[in-house]
Amino acid sequence: MSDALFQPYARSPLDPLDLAGQAVRPSPENGAWANEVRLLAYLTLRGDSADPAYARAVRTVCGLSLPDAGRYVSGVAGVLLWRSPNECLLLTSRRQAASLRVALVEAFAGLLAEVVDQSGGLTTVYLAGAEQVTVLRHMGGYDFGSLEPGQAIATVFGKTAAVVMRADAHGVHLIVRRSFAAYLWALLARSARPYAFTVGRLPAAGTDPVLCLQEGATVLDRQDRVAV
Amino acid sequence: MSGYRVSRPSQRIDRDQTVRFRFNGRDYSGFAGDTLASALIANGVTLLGRSFKYGRPRGIVGAGPEEPNALVQLEDGARTVPDVKATQIELYPGLSARSCSGWPSLALDLKSLLGRCGRFMPPGFYYKTFMAPVRAWPVYEKIIRKAAGFGTAPTANDPDFYDHLHHHVDVLVVGGGACGLWAALLAGRAGLKTLLVDDQNEAGGWLLSEASARIDGLAAIDWVASRRAELDALPNVAVLTRTTAFAHHDLNLVQAVERLQDHLPAEARRADQPRERLHRIRAGHVILAAGAIERPLVFGNNDLPGVLTAAAAQTYLNRYGVVVGRTILLLTHNDAAYDTARDLALAGSRVTVIDVRQRGAAPARHAAVIAAGATVLTGFGIAEVRGGNRVRAARLVRLDPLSLKATGKGPVLNADCVLSSGGLTATVHLYCHNGGRPLWDEERLSFVAPAGGRDDMCCVGAVAGYWGLGEALRQTHETLGAWLAARGLGAAGQAPQADDIPAAPTRRVFRIPDGRRPGAGAKAFVDFQNDVTAADIHIAVLENYRSVEHVKRYTALGFGTDQGKLSNINGFAIAAEALGKPIASVGTTTYRPAYTPVSFGALAGPHARETFDPERHTAMHARHVAAGAAFERVGQWMRPHYFPRPGEDLHAAVARECLAARQGVAVMDATTLGKIDVKGPDAREFLNRVYSNAWSKLEPGKCRYGLMLDENGMVMDDGVTACLADDHFHMTTTTGGAARVLSWLERWHQTEWPDLKVFFTSTTDHWCTTAVVGPKSRDVLMRLCSDIDFAMDAFKFMDWRDGTVAGLPARVFRISFSGEVAYEINVEASYGDYVWQSVLAAGKDFGITPYGTESMHVLRAEKGFIIVGQDSDGSMTPFDLGMAWAVGMKKPFSFLGRRSLTRSDTVRDDRKQLVGLLTDDPAAVLTEGAQLLSSPQVTIPADMRGHVTSSYFSAYLGRSIALAVVKGGAASGGETVYAWSGGQVTAARIVSSVFVDPQGERQHV
Amino acid sequence: MFLIYCPYCKATREEEEFHNAGEAFIARPADPEAASDEEWGDYLFMRKNPKGWHWEQWQHAAGCGRVFAVKRHTLSYRIAGSWTLAAGKALFLQEGGV
Ligand SMILES: [Zn+2]
Repeated sequence: MSDALFQPYARSPLDPLDLAGQAVRPSPENGAWANEVRLLAYLTLRGDSADPAYARAVRTVCGLSLPDAGRYVSGVAGVLLWRSPNECLLLTSRRQAASLRVALVEAFAGLLAEVVDQSGGLTTVYLAGAEQVTVLRHMGGYDFGSLEPGQAIATVFGKTAAVVMRADAHGVHLIVRRSFAAYLWALLARSARPYAFTVGRLPAAGTDPVLCLQEGATVLDRQDRVAV
Repeated sequence: MSGYRVSRPSQRIDRDQTVRFRFNGRDYSGFAGDTLASALIANGVTLLGRSFKYGRPRGIVGAGPEEPNALVQLEDGARTVPDVKATQIELYPGLSARSCSGWPSLALDLKSLLGRCGRFMPPGFYYKTFMAPVRAWPVYEKIIRKAAGFGTAPTANDPDFYDHLHHHVDVLVVGGGACGLWAALLAGRAGLKTLLVDDQNEAGGWLLSEASARIDGLAAIDWVASRRAELDALPNVAVLTRTTAFAHHDLNLVQAVERLQDHLPAEARRADQPRERLHRIRAGHVILAAGAIERPLVFGNNDLPGVLTAAAAQTYLNRYGVVVGRTILLLTHNDAAYDTARDLALAGSRVTVIDVRQRGAAPARHAAVIAAGATVLTGFGIAEVRGGNRVRAARLVRLDPLSLKATGKGPVLNADCVLSSGGLTATVHLYCHNGGRPLWDEERLSFVAPAGGRDDMCCVGAVAGYWGLGEALRQTHETLGAWLAARGLGAAGQAPQADDIPAAPTRRVFRIPDGRRPGAGAKAFVDFQNDVTAADIHIAVLENYRSVEHVKRYTALGFGTDQGKLSNINGFAIAAEALGKPIASVGTTTYRPAYTPVSFGALAGPHARETFDPERHTAMHARHVAAGAAFERVGQWMRPHYFPRPGEDLHAAVARECLAARQGVAVMDATTLGKIDVKGPDAREFLNRVYSNAWSKLEPGKCRYGLMLDENGMVMDDGVTACLADDHFHMTTTTGGAARVLSWLERWHQTEWPDLKVFFTSTTDHWCTTAVVGPKSRDVLMRLCSDIDFAMDAFKFMDWRDGTVAGLPARVFRISFSGEVAYEINVEASYGDYVWQSVLAAGKDFGITPYGTESMHVLRAEKGFIIVGQDSDGSMTPFDLGMAWAVGMKKPFSFLGRRSLTRSDTVRDDRKQLVGLLTDDPAAVLTEGAQLLSSPQVTIPADMRGHVTSSYFSAYLGRSIALAVVKGGAASGGETVYAWSGGQVTAARIVSSVFVDPQGERQHV
Repeated sequence: MFLIYCPYCKATREEEEFHNAGEAFIARPADPEAASDEEWGDYLFMRKNPKGWHWEQWQHAAGCGRVFAVKRHTLSYRIAGSWTLAAGKALFLQEGGV
């Protein structure tokens, strides 16, 4: 069988729920609405944030400074989230991911640093609406009312953990592991039930640094192969 | 008691809205704003239940959470709730309730006969009477429980849902009475994020029952309304009514339950709103304004229907417009109850105040009740109430003016209602839940919360013993003012003004003496719900129970759903007197959450049904569902258990799946294995330290099985790790161990070896893994992948290759958990659905067969491969498991667990060791977990040799096989042991744990 | 339910985000093979379990994953503070290492 016969397709973790089929334009009566930001690319960057050479390498490739604890920075390359003193998560588009990864691997040569692809392992849920903070307060004990644009923190939601980042006043992004995505969605939908919850059509990206990374599912290009 | 309605200016019911309801099969009506209790009293219903132990008739005693008797079964079917206090049920149209107790019926109660004939059921009665013979206790217990007659739990699924809501506030005010409202207002005005919770349907607390109080020149209820309006206007303040704060935990975490829909008729309840909401409130500061509850006095037959607390009668009158009786005797030891007498007399009842004090009340109050038309008798108590199922009369007793004893007979007075006031009991629960101890206040005759509160809590108003409205508001204002000032939050302004009428001293009485020795007179109840009398407490002390905690447990004092809100102080006082000690030194029992009963639904909140626990799905899950797989939970993962074809059961499907793997080709979703990316110059050294075997020589392109031990030398996890590059490894863990192993690696790295340069990154969710297994697996792989050389010598067992599978970048591992040639294809999980389909398509010509965890277990057991956590249990060393080959005792670094492998206990010969078992009868499949005995005769104590850990029928071998751990098993080959299970003994021979292909030739072809 | 400060996230969070990782500053014997059974047993099994101040390790499991030191009173449940392991150990030794 020739490789040309293969037609790979990608599925996002929440695709089995057919959110696209349910999505409507949210109205003001919908106190909370959500949808999945499908098939972004995710790269974990490991390296000591106190190491200037590592910070320089990240800046050179991504055009981003390393974020402070509990925060994120964004730019053309995507969104760079702080996860721990030696770990950041880069959310980027599938289009850019392969070249960024190659460039990072090259830039990290000789450093105590690593890039790990997590694109299959994570997804993002966008939550918006007037009661978005209330919904979060149903889901977890963190003081979500205090979460401001620029912040991204990991905390407990029910019986799993996820990263929550506030893009702007309109909404927040929840970044969750693939295998927990269905649970997190169910918890969110249940928590939002008193507020006329609906699956909403994602808006035009506007200034939201995550929404602007989305695009249609792409078939991996042969160029996407990267040696380990 | 013959209650009836009057119209009161202060009433909070709406006489224009009639509400029809049903109780014990009869139709009644009340008004909007009523509780079930107020409506029942207004309808003249007095008998609501039978008592727990003696089956005595019981009626309503209180008006709120303190109610011990009026427990009802609310509604029927799936929404039924047992043991709800009628005093806490807001009336709604169509409400239906019935008494919980009374068996076989409320009118004819079996226990009441027992109670009368037995006359005397002392504390410990059930233990003493029914314990012999011990074996019969379960029979007794069933009957006793049925006769005790507390309600029945619903058997259908709860149709409602519940949620949790978390709060972070500067100030939480508990209690919405005068003091709570004022405290919330001061905090709110100072700009603090403030939350006020109150358990009633509206704020106001005792002011809702107190018709005549005035604050700042306003009628109290108007003052409440304007304060409430001001709070509502403050954006930084939130008020929750129908919300009971029931628990206080460390660092001011308060839990409160809000009843959102229980007050609504069924058709008005919204399916999109929860029935109850549990609020978890993290407060910088708690202001406890929980108030106080009036307790009764203890006197003979004080449990007859028609005997209430005076405060309850005042609440029914002023808040609900219900008069509790036409001829009322009010027994008191204090001035405050005179207000109740005055209000009832003005409402038209014939009221006689029986004041245990020789000199009665202060002149103003005395004059007010006389002016209202009541009579006052001073220096008397009530010896006993008379009547059958309701109050008919009471016999008074003359009391000595100085010492507490009866000095002579008193008159018998007719009455249909008896009220008593034994003073207030501060609601100190939330102060005490987290270790706070209340103080006994000998002047106020109550345990109170200290007015100084503590670091993160202020206690204001009646909870701190400030009974008078004026003094309570002053203390609230001063406390809050000082607290705000200390935080630089400015001046609090003027305190609200209310007058306190000067009062004569209270007389220190709990039990009214009746001139008889304890136990001889009429039963005088302390705890109504548990039928604990004053005499019972005396007996407990006589039987040498010294601690009040023990007295409580022996008599059951305060154990009911009312948690002793009416009974505790009376009980402690009587115990203290019997012990000859002051109350302060006897102390209280421990206050524990919950303050009032909380439904399981509210506690569970969102952790129910589909969100009870995360159900983790692999990227291929939808395909397995479509293929009709039966699933099993492995940890939180949903894994295909087997893939039945039409008509197949588990065994048939597993036999077919296993044979396919041994003879053709089969495929399994192995995505759930934990995966950790290990990278850094010291990655190899780290592996050497955390695995028992050696990693120094593993080359890129190769894999190795590793055993991970804890420091005790016990196997904690296992898995295959591949060398990706000299400084880079792909580690796999067991499905259930992924998080634990990552945490384990991180802890050792961070705490003990921070100098090692290595990163661990979980990639469990990134990769999906498809295991293609069987003699024809190579053929399938070759159809999917053209850039890997699958030749036997080019891609050997325990090699891995980077390549393109079905057009996708992939890592292919040639590893096997079945003993067959097998390949595990790893691709990005986004393509899991696609790759699974592609493998099935490529394998179609070879009859590729999907298989689940059950076949995986059989295949690995045939090979003697262990499953950590099934064949090992945290007490097995690698040697116990026969895996010495996986222990590099000569490695230079003393790897985790290494030293423990030479401890005296781990080198014993008679440790339990892994063996294989073959039953004499090849068709007999042993029960997993079955104990293994040396002899078929079961003796006590039996000589237990070990137990069966894994057991299956092997279709490939045509017989059953089992793995077991047996003491000294390694040296017991050929011996017969006897598995005992469910009364059956099955003989089995100890054999090698490898049943198929002991030389391991099949996986090398 | 404690509130615990994570010195890496520089934030105070709910206890449910953390895992307790036992007593802090138990040194693994430098040469385990030279330790007697009794010394090794002490290292494995013997813990201070004090009534009073206790140095503990906590891991910010749902957050940054880092392990750090917390000084906590086992009776009052008061938490004196959180430190990185290095900073905590210095303080612990300064206090006399008990
Ligand atoms: Zn942290």
